[in-house]
Amino acid sequence: MDQSPSNIQLIFALKTAVAAPILGAFLIPFANKISVAARNTLAVALGLVTFISAAWLLPGTISGLAINYSIAFPLGFDFILSADMLSVFMAVISSFVSSLILIYSIDYISHYENQTEYYTMVVLFLGSMMGLVFSANLLWMYVFWELTAFASWRLVGFFRSDRDVLKANKTFLVTVFGALCMLAGILLVYFDKGCIDMRLLRGENISNVAAFLILTGILAKSATLPFSTWLPDAGVAPSTVTALLHAAVLVKIGVYAYARIFGVTFVAAPEFSQAVLWIAGASAIVSAAAALVEKDIKRIIAYSTVSQIAFIFLGLASGNRVAFIGGLLYILMHSVAKGGLFLCAGIIEQKTHNKDITKMGGLFKTMPITGVSFALCSLSVMGIPPFGGFFSKFLVFKGATQNGTLGVILMFLAGAIMTLLYLSRMFYLVFMGQEKPDSPREGSIVMVASVLALALIGLSLGALIYYPSYYVDLLTNQLGVNLQ
Amino acid sequence: MNLILIPIVLPLAAALLVLLVPERTKYVKELLASGVTAVCLLTGVSTLLSALFGPPITLDLPWAGAGLNFALRADSLSSFLLLSVSFFSFLISIYAFSFENKGDAKWFFFNLLITQAFAAGAVLSENLLALLFFWEGLLVFLYTFIALSQKTEASKNTAKKAFLINAVTDLCLLVGVTIVACISGSMNMTVISGAKLTMNGWAGFAYVLMLIGAASKAGAFPFHTWIPDAATDSSVPFMAYVPAAVDKLLGIYFLARISIYLFALNGAMQLVLMTLGAVTILVAVMMAFVQTDYKRLLSYHAVSQAGYMILGIGTLNPIGIAGGLFHMLNNAVYKSCLFMTAGAVEKRTGTGDLSKLGGLFSVMPVTGICFLIAAAAISGIAPLNGFFSKEMIYKGTIYTGHTVFFWAAEVGSFLTLASFLKLGHAAFFGKRSDNFANVAEAPFSNLLPMAILAAVCIAFGFGAELPVTWFLNPALRTLNLQIPVLAGFHPDELYWLSVIVILAAVINHIVGYTLSGGKAYKASDHIHYAPLLQETYALAEKRFFDPYEIVMRAVPFVAAAIYKIDRFFDYLTDALPTRVAGAFSGASSRLHNGSYPLYMAFTIAGALIYIFITANYGGIR
Repeated sequence: MDQSPSNIQLIFALKTAVAAPILGAFLIPFANKISVAARNTLAVALGLVTFISAAWLLPGTISGLAINYSIAFPLGFDFILSADMLSVFMAVISSFVSSLILIYSIDYISHYENQTEYYTMVVLFLGSMMGLVFSANLLWMYVFWELTAFASWRLVGFFRSDRDVLKANKTFLVTVFGALCMLAGILLVYFDKGCIDMRLLRGENISNVAAFLILTGILAKSATLPFSTWLPDAGVAPSTVTALLHAAVLVKIGVYAYARIFGVTFVAAPEFSQAVLWIAGASAIVSAAAALVEKDIKRIIAYSTVSQIAFIFLGLASGNRVAFIGGLLYILMHSVAKGGLFLCAGIIEQKTHNKDITKMGGLFKTMPITGVSFALCSLSVMGIPPFGGFFSKFLVFKGATQNGTLGVILMFLAGAIMTLLYLSRMFYLVFMGQEKPDSPREGSIVMVASVLALALIGLSLGALIYYPSYYVDLLTNQLGVNLQ
Repeated sequence: MNLILIPIVLPLAAALLVLLVPERTKYVKELLASGVTAVCLLTGVSTLLSALFGPPITLDLPWAGAGLNFALRADSLSSFLLLSVSFFSFLISIYAFSFENKGDAKWFFFNLLITQAFAAGAVLSENLLALLFFWEGLLVFLYTFIALSQKTEASKNTAKKAFLINAVTDLCLLVGVTIVACISGSMNMTVISGAKLTMNGWAGFAYVLMLIGAASKAGAFPFHTWIPDAATDSSVPFMAYVPAAVDKLLGIYFLARISIYLFALNGAMQLVLMTLGAVTILVAVMMAFVQTDYKRLLSYHAVSQAGYMILGIGTLNPIGIAGGLFHMLNNAVYKSCLFMTAGAVEKRTGTGDLSKLGGLFSVMPVTGICFLIAAAAISGIAPLNGFFSKEMIYKGTIYTGHTVFFWAAEVGSFLTLASFLKLGHAAFFGKRSDNFANVAEAPFSNLLPMAILAAVCIAFGFGAELPVTWFLNPALRTLNLQIPVLAGFHPDELYWLSVIVILAAVINHIVGYTLSGGKAYKASDHIHYAPLLQETYALAEKRFFDPYEIVMRAVPFVAAAIYKIDRFFDYLTDALPTRVAGAFSGASSRLHNGSYPLYMAFTIAGALIYIFITANYGGIR
């Protein structure tokens, strides 16, 4: 192994990105003993350290360095952290959005109880996410996968009413059910190939049974039909949690696993990918329809996530380079824009003490910055230029056309049109129309600045599309398996 | 910097700058906007010259990954469009100098400049992704243009309508573009035109999708319904700029590009195109004829005229295509001028209601003359510009052999003239109301662009040679078409038919005017309230035929039906497992009743099963 100083530095950054949040999370309760400020600072600092360590790895992976760290375990269960372009891409996005959410939380969550548990779990969640993306061993990936399920269970159940606990249990049970199927799939691979180190399995075929078992886990985690409804139900959690889980990180675990396992490791049968496309198409339409029916602002955005996740699957499963690039860019654009939407919803919910959009109206007059941010994030989700979402949507569609299944294309066209409808409906009911008496004022500076930042990042990602697409293009060339 | 980036980047930068200028400053924003658009206009001239006398200016930069480049190319067709778009941006920014009723000035000029930038980008794009980027990018600013032009709730709703209609059709365009890119393996239009796509299977589907995008931008039936709404819910400069000029230019430009340059259409698709054109002409002009609001009447004509252009392109022969492109330019000129007269009248009288207006010619003579010229031009009266472009379209239509479309277009001309006779009579002639005793002529900044446009109507009529040589012939060459003899006045059957149409329209007006008891704004009532038509009109006014309203009414029901699927899966993953698990544990807990013999029986049964399994599959065998 290359022992040059720069490589040692990179391995250190890799270890920090995983260890700092996981171990640091357990220090948060102690920091709380010192003071609330110390606890909050520690939490934000851990988020930023994770982000910086992950970003530190970027130049190294672009230049093609192999950054690995492993601890040997018997029976091929080695703990292996491995940074390549895909894992770093995912780590940077999720740690960045998570850090922003932590900053937003300082104000938002200060109105509620159980704050220490909240910060501990958010940071632990981030850490397990880091562990998951960097794990090259399927078994360890599974371990971190379950750790995220645990953290999300606690986070969804942040409020302690019976209903909240019930929804938290639903989240946990559905995702764990999926994960157990996935474990069975991993075991099949283990008995079949005698190895679960993904670096060594690159380009191998995978049996359809194992592939479908793993897919069940992915669909459950990424809230895709038929396991989609835990996601809107988990909207009972505070908005920061929903932003973290539903937009930026948790649901992206599934698509990341898909990209990792079926995009850059195994070669799945064509029928398998085709099945994924049809499932995703149905998911896009059904959840978009649900978003048109629902009245709860967070449930609408959650359904929108389900619908958009389907577009990511469309990109990742279409089996060609353009689509894969589009799918990965979609992850980036959607994390930013949807995170922004959820945080806007948080401001709205906190200020109006209401979640029913039919009882809102005219908020644009009193909350203009939130309104503009909401509109900009919506435009990015709709995929309208000059926002970043345009490019990802275009590339995904282009890839789907290359794949050439007319039914799938039409389903996603319908899904994209419904996206326009539900987002404009939501915007009009919340921000336009008759102003209600005693409309609230704008949220606190930190919260409003966070959402505005996300909105503007969405805009600049479109203006500077050259850079992310260059990275993703390179990634696909380096790592893509079985892509046309 | 590359020359063709100027009309894109400069207005973009200026648009952001305008937002920083305080609202109360006078003329800073106006001067900035007109200066920048003047520069764009000059750039247009220069790109046209280099396209005519040398290689077109091009630009090619790496962009969105996957081999997608940001490629621009100013060939003579694109340069012609750039010139036209910049020309209208320039005139509108002058017109807006002293036109208060346009929303906040800074937002107006922001939207104007950014529309100029994106429209310039769209016409200059060589790469289809770049085209899509600029084309769809206009959506956001179409929305803000309308939404910020008035403070009313209605303007926000119309903005949403315009946004949604165009966003949906743009998505269709996007999918069409991806299919084209897949079939031809390139997104560069010059490459695609090297091996034109034919109308079979996927390519035919792609053409239809792209046609939807182009027709919607041009404001053709059935995507036009936001335009009449915008006439009442937005500002006059917006109407004169976007629906009357820029949108038409872009839509017809792209229609010509796809129908002639990228695809080789077949007879069936030609019929589709010509039918679309004819239906657009007739439906919109029928609606225009019965309107009693100055701007709303004009807005329906903006739709109807798009029908002529589509019909022209749909003929697929050089003279018809040239007519379509010429009509695109001419319509932008006189329609913009007409909207400007509407603005001047509204500014001075405070209304656009034809039942209140009247006799304004004596107090607003310049406006009145401009109106007369532009109205004569749109009605196709020789020898103004509208006559020549319509004549070319008629000829092209006759050459295709489908004369039914020719007659449809002639009926459209009859109704166009009839409605302008009504409009002109009601607004500028007849008796002036006492309320308008002190009405004065519009200010100079309003009159100047109006007069320039009226002058262009005359110049491109008498001197049709000029646009033919400089714009149309080079554009046809770019599209790889034969160049027919276009210019010149031909006193043939078509001319005499136009005279007959004029006479018929005048007679119709006199009849209607007399029947309505001398009220010019009611001169259409004898047709409006004819049996059958009356009921149809009543339904149309209630937006019964508006596809947008129909879809929006249907959406909740369809969504609720599909939502049932979501609830079904929720039942499968939530209620059902809970119930099954509950039933199972309930049953097994009832079995655990403490009875020793029962437990013993379970144990023995379990042991037997175990022995059976191991005996069959295990080591005993």
